[in-house]
Amino acid sequence: MTTDNSKTGVGQGLDQAAKAALLRETMPFKTVPDATLRRIADLAKEETLPAGTRLYNEGDRADDLFVIASGKIEHALGPEAEASKLVKMVKRGDVIGWAALLSTKQRRLATTVAEADTQILRINAQKLRDLFQNDQQTGDMVMSRFATMIKEDYTLPDWLAKTRSIGEGTVARSEAEVPVSESRLALLGYRLGLWVKSPKPYLMITGFTAVLLFWHFSVDVFEWPRFRNMPGLVEVITEWLSRDPIYGLSVWTPEYYTHIIVSIRRVFIAFLLATALGVTLGLFMGWSKGVREFVFPVFETLRPVPILAWVPLAIIIFFHPESTVIFLTFLASFYATALNTMLGVDSIDESYSRAASCLGANKWQVFRHVIVPGALPFIFTGLQISVGVAWFSLVAAEMVSGEFGLGFVINTSYTMVKYPTIVIGMITLGAVGYTTSAMVRMLGDHLMQWRVRELAMGGR
Amino acid sequence: MSAVMNKPGKGSQNLKVNSAEMRVEGVSKSYGIAHLRENVVHNASFVIEKSKLTVMIGPSGCGKSTLIRLLAGFDKPDSGTVTIDGKPVKGPDRDRLVVFQESALFPWMNTYDNIMYGPRARGEVDDETKALAEFLLDKVGLTQFRNKFPSQLSGGMQRRAELARAMINFPRVMILDEPFRGLDAMTKELMWEYYAGLYEESRRTNFFVTTDIDEAIFLADRLLIMTNIPTQVRAVLEVDLPRPRNLKELLESDRANEIKMEALGILHEEAMKSFSSGSAAASDFIEAYSKRVKKKG
Repeated sequence: MTTDNSKTGVGQGLDQAAKAALLRETMPFKTVPDATLRRIADLAKEETLPAGTRLYNEGDRADDLFVIASGKIEHALGPEAEASKLVKMVKRGDVIGWAALLSTKQRRLATTVAEADTQILRINAQKLRDLFQNDQQTGDMVMSRFATMIKEDYTLPDWLAKTRSIGEGTVARSEAEVPVSESRLALLGYRLGLWVKSPKPYLMITGFTAVLLFWHFSVDVFEWPRFRNMPGLVEVITEWLSRDPIYGLSVWTPEYYTHIIVSIRRVFIAFLLATALGVTLGLFMGWSKGVREFVFPVFETLRPVPILAWVPLAIIIFFHPESTVIFLTFLASFYATALNTMLGVDSIDESYSRAASCLGANKWQVFRHVIVPGALPFIFTGLQISVGVAWFSLVAAEMVSGEFGLGFVINTSYTMVKYPTIVIGMITLGAVGYTTSAMVRMLGDHLMQWRVRELAMGGR
Repeated sequence: MSAVMNKPGKGSQNLKVNSAEMRVEGVSKSYGIAHLRENVVHNASFVIEKSKLTVMIGPSGCGKSTLIRLLAGFDKPDSGTVTIDGKPVKGPDRDRLVVFQESALFPWMNTYDNIMYGPRARGEVDDETKALAEFLLDKVGLTQFRNKFPSQLSGGMQRRAELARAMINFPRVMILDEPFRGLDAMTKELMWEYYAGLYEESRRTNFFVTTDIDEAIFLADRLLIMTNIPTQVRAVLEVDLPRPRNLKELLESDRANEIKMEALGILHEEAMKSFSSGSAAASDFIEAYSKRVKKKG
């Protein structure tokens, strides 16, 4: 039990609405529906701790959790908590003592002492759990928000990670049913919230705004001579969004999407081919000296040849325009992927292969268990480059041969003096390209959880 | 060679194994080409006695890691033989497991998968192995960290995970290459006691390489003191201190200090030699050494 209960006085003054308002300020209860929040507020007992009061000690049994209303409390975690920061000061709106909510280990993890006269709300964890029993949806949400909050502070030891599935302990649901998607969604929401609060989105918007303003001012306002023939921002946007575009291409015309889809399809095929062949070749070049000496000189001789130089030969070889375009798109991606994969293999510390062979792995197992995963970070860096490279070689290819596609749009618009359409094509290309490389990055993060955590740890 | 291994019958609470003896006889190894060729190990002979903890100590850069590569079978000697129970070493094998200087835990596998790697690679996963993995996880205090990736573990935890990853294979000889280097002093001392405990329980043949004299004396049954490059065994000291040892008793033990002074004396000479031949590592060593002597005096 907590040590100095006797010293804590029961304060007065906070009514249900005030308590609810305070709970609303906390991370875990922020999104609880009003009616439920009022019921939680009814569970909360207000107390005042004079400065120096010890609220609880590490190792004490944990029955209640606390919300700080005013004042401050020093919160010192024991070393086994594996937290990024052991001692911190908590103040209004912070929630402490959540160990009481754990289904597995209801022991205090920290020692807490009031730094100043402090007003707190004491909430009995069992009663809170009972309450959630009747409102499973809210319960799951609160628990997942708790998990997120805790995660901020800790590298979760396993038993702690279980808070996530606490829903299974408090709310009677089978483990299989524990709504992973829901907690994921909550986590996503929380991350989004963090992102909005960080300076990132505002810097991003500022960046875009600066470019657009420059464009607008140089063309439409100052009318600088160099920019005389360039379509202005307003003109492009109007054309882009027009139901009846002057030059025939806008978000309302089906051709617009045909071009996008044709381009995406070409990049997709070329990228898949480049990845399959590039990764394979890169792995073998990195792994086997023989293969490298055989292939690498040829590879390095062909690599500097620009895509445009390949155009005539590609047309002669493939004849069919579609294959020509795909081949040209493929080529640069393939180089980027193969080279990065090879460097990835080179980057693997030899001690990993030695350890594996020591432990009884044969050559093929070393390849699968060490070389492939070890090269993965480089491979994905390569793939991100390769997707970008694919887009710009695509445009080059489409300008030369092809009947559809964004590169084709840009090129024909030029010859047919449809200047706004050129810009529409360019912006669309940029947006689609950005999306595809973001997708590759997300896939990489998903496949390399260990890497994501390693990088996250680097920030500690 | 890995055909018949000696797993303990049941319960897996028993880490005792059929240890082996390793012999290095007249081994030489040089690296480099033409006039740059350097003789790293020259005509070295020693025995890693069965069921003993042999510690090898020498000035840094003296070719200890080369010897380890030869023992593990990653490299072949230019001349001489390395044998395990009389059979020549042909290549890496699970009967001689190496715990490396830098952590060689696979960063893409969590603790449990790392520990299970050996049995899985050999296709020897059965209920007994799984039970043993649990036992070892518990033994090295990492049960709660089974799903963590190595980067999420502290240095000490990584070392323990690596010890577990080796032990699950019942190696007949464990070879450790400065495994506790880079740990902070506190953790290091804890790891000594920890590792010594594991050894005392299993009495497996252990070969431990270090540059730290305190570490060497705390752990060793036998202490091999190496010369500078080209490496040979300069002296063998029997460390006849009772087990289990504890650090405090050892500090107060006259016998321990006696061994230490003797070892340091020999090492000092070696360091002086390499100092005069211009090794940077040696000057550090001499500085450290003279401090220690002063403290003792």
